[in-house]
Amino acid sequence: MSELDLAALDRDGALEEARDGLSRAGFLGTLAATGTGALLALADDAGAAPLRRSDVEVLNYALSLEYLQAAFYTEAERSKALSKRAAEAARVVGAVERAHVKAFSSLLGRKAIARPRFDFQGVTEDSGDFIKTAVAFEDLAVAAYKGQAAKLKSGAVLASAIGIHTVEARHAAWMRYLTGVQPAASAFDEPQTRAEINQVVKATGFVSSAPRTSARRSPRYTG
Amino acid sequence: MNRWRAIGAGVLAGAVIGVAAVALAGYGDPATPPPKRPELPPAPRPALVIPPPEGLGRETGLTRWAPLRRPTPARAAPSSAARVLARLSTRTPERTAHPLPVVGRRADGSGRLWLRVRLPILPNGTLGWVPRRAVGGYELVRHRLVVDLGEYEATLLLGDREVFSAPVGIGQARWPTPRGEFIVRNRLERYQSPQYGPVAFGTSARSATLTDWPAGGFVGIHGTDRPDILPGEVSHGCIRLRNADILRLAELMPVGTPVVIR
Repeated sequence: MSELDLAALDRDGALEEARDGLSRAGFLGTLAATGTGALLALADDAGAAPLRRSDVEVLNYALSLEYLQAAFYTEAERSKALSKRAAEAARVVGAVERAHVKAFSSLLGRKAIARPRFDFQGVTEDSGDFIKTAVAFEDLAVAAYKGQAAKLKSGAVLASAIGIHTVEARHAAWMRYLTGVQPAASAFDEPQTRAEINQVVKATGFVSSAPRTSARRSPRYTG
Repeated sequence: MNRWRAIGAGVLAGAVIGVAAVALAGYGDPATPPPKRPELPPAPRPALVIPPPEGLGRETGLTRWAPLRRPTPARAAPSSAARVLARLSTRTPERTAHPLPVVGRRADGSGRLWLRVRLPILPNGTLGWVPRRAVGGYELVRHRLVVDLGEYEATLLLGDREVFSAPVGIGQARWPTPRGEFIVRNRLERYQSPQYGPVAFGTSARSATLTDWPAGGFVGIHGTDRPDILPGEVSHGCIRLRNADILRLAELMPVGTPVVIR
């Protein structure tokens, strides 16, 4: 991730700190560790070999990142606050990320992790913040897919992951182009581990908890 | 030494040219098949069926609210210098999250984002501004509850579709149910107050007459232990439903639902 991308997210310096100390297990690890005990048959072929447990974990990890991206672009599109170029990017990329979510959810079925809640803290409502955050997210997704590819046991899952990985790379190039940053400056993209990705996402504070809206308490309404 | 080296190089060059000539002659001959190479395995069939990109389409009847994350003054304009209309806390009197209906947005001169929200204060219908950073993530609602005071009827809509309707009791003439646009702020249940029925929803509407009522005189939507007097003007301002109706409504209506009382 370039310094520009980090600066977009790292208003309090938390990301730089996170990159320097990647020891804590992030929320994604917790999410991905749930509900992965069983083997799953591949969705498009009833006679196919079941998915290995480790592949299910990787798929759930990918789903968690797709949830994040889909929610980000969807909220940006709904905000109707972006410039024409940013809004177009949000509309097109958001539609693709929602399709990715649907595909992963469909394959994982009951083993799919639940969609977390997000608080994007206003970055979906300002064109500059939106584009810079989008660059960071897309770079993150590209690095994440690359980091997990070698761990996949199923060739069929790997083929899917590579198909999505290249789409994420196109998104990354598009968002970089919008910021005026060279879309393909380097000859080699470094992968990132799950711990690294988790730490960066966690440091953004974009993953939030559900507000508590119910209680076991006697009403004091006017009656 | 140089002579032997020159002879060796000449012999090697001749051999290379000879082999190349034979090879080229062979390729040029249509009767000679190309050399066999091992076939690469086909690409595996992808495990995921990726559907086409999914556009949002036309979204009607969608409203937004956000929980207050830190105590904040609500101001009359999107500026930290503007007059304070109310000081908002992160919890309702029932100690649940404080949801604020979001109806607008504006950036101030320094680029700081502000949200225009409906305030749970008197006079009902007051709008104010809070910094975007004071609230959490947006929650979306497709439902809307319409309470018709003249018809003594509550109707829940999902988009444009009616999904629930029931007769209601409303405030008596001296304690009228306020009209306006509000929000369902919380949901209470498993309490020991039979006069409120099995479920009670709190709203952001406030009684303009019972201002000294405990917890601020907020109007609720709840069940009753007197179904025999419904519908009609029977309450202190709350909206009362028969218990079977409030239980049915509780299955359908999420917290954050806008409430229109007309």
